[in-house]
Amino acid sequence: MKLSVAENWVEAPLKQFVDEARVQLAVLLNPSGQVLGQFGFASSVDVMTACALAAATTASSAELGRQVDGRPFSGLHYVGNARQIFLGQVPMGTSSLILLTVFDSESSLGLVQLFFQELCAAIAVIVPKEAPSGPALAEDFERELNRNLASMFGRS
Amino acid sequence: MSLVNYAAREITCKIVYYGPGRSGKTTNLHYIYGQVPTDRKGQMVSLATQTDRTLFFDFLPLDLGIISGFTTRFQLYTVPGQVYYQTTRRLVLQGADGVVFVADSQARQLDENVESMQDLHANLADHGVDARTVPLVIQYNKQDLPPDLIMTVPELEDALNFRGVPSFAADALHGPGVFETLRAVSEQVLRKLSTGGGG
Repeated sequence: MKLSVAENWVEAPLKQFVDEARVQLAVLLNPSGQVLGQFGFASSVDVMTACALAAATTASSAELGRQVDGRPFSGLHYVGNARQIFLGQVPMGTSSLILLTVFDSESSLGLVQLFFQELCAAIAVIVPKEAPSGPALAEDFERELNRNLASMFGRS
Repeated sequence: MSLVNYAAREITCKIVYYGPGRSGKTTNLHYIYGQVPTDRKGQMVSLATQTDRTLFFDFLPLDLGIISGFTTRFQLYTVPGQVYYQTTRRLVLQGADGVVFVADSQARQLDENVESMQDLHANLADHGVDARTVPLVIQYNKQDLPPDLIMTVPELEDALNFRGVPSFAADALHGPGVFETLRAVSEQVLRKLSTGGGG
């Protein structure tokens, strides 16, 4: 399975995590639910849904932690019948990223936690390159937008 | 914040449907979900109570296809409208690239509409976002109800649209206005990217 990234600087640390921790799925996202890099998902919409739920779980457990313990909970581990989920926050400067990963008996929580710490250390020293500035879309994008939306809604 | 991957030529944008409880935010997403072909949408996720009120959010990923050479994807979210879900609304609003404010046209819901609009501005401010810079579209939903129950669009404009943003009358249950609203907010969000202000 192929690793794909939206931000090049996450590729090396995410690849190392996937290889070393032997996980089946892994996605690195920002707190608003946007995917930065992923491994193992079959379709882009599946990744978006996983990211929306991972961001929501992280946000709600952090808020729950503040309510009951005075500080945010920063991780979650779920044990299923065949697969386990680990969700952790990756500190990055003044903000953080979120790692969602799924693993089976080929790996273990200890292994995942070990290489999660390495991932955190690697991300902490990465300074993301400046995103290219300037317009992303041509000024006449409306024609294509309207055509695509009309097609989606069966109005073409 | 829109995520633009110049190497893979992909754009992902987050649009949040905001508004008071029972104004029709989830109904908008249900209608869109029902209209869009399977290969252009993901599964609609609804974190709802047993009585189908939105508890956390609804989520619908859409693939808009290629626009200006970029594979363009939108993530549509709703927030729970009930007043006591304030914290949840703030969480869902984080990182929104555009907002659709779904107002309930019923006259007796006017105070709830105004309160929800104020709540939107307060939550954006909490995220350090100037509400005047966020692409916003207002939808006046339930305009299909009997005239004696609802306010007219000009009356609602006076009460809610002090920024003069694009607005649409709608009947989200049956479809009128849903497409136009989505098109308008999409255009505003992408317009911001086309002028270099979206990243």
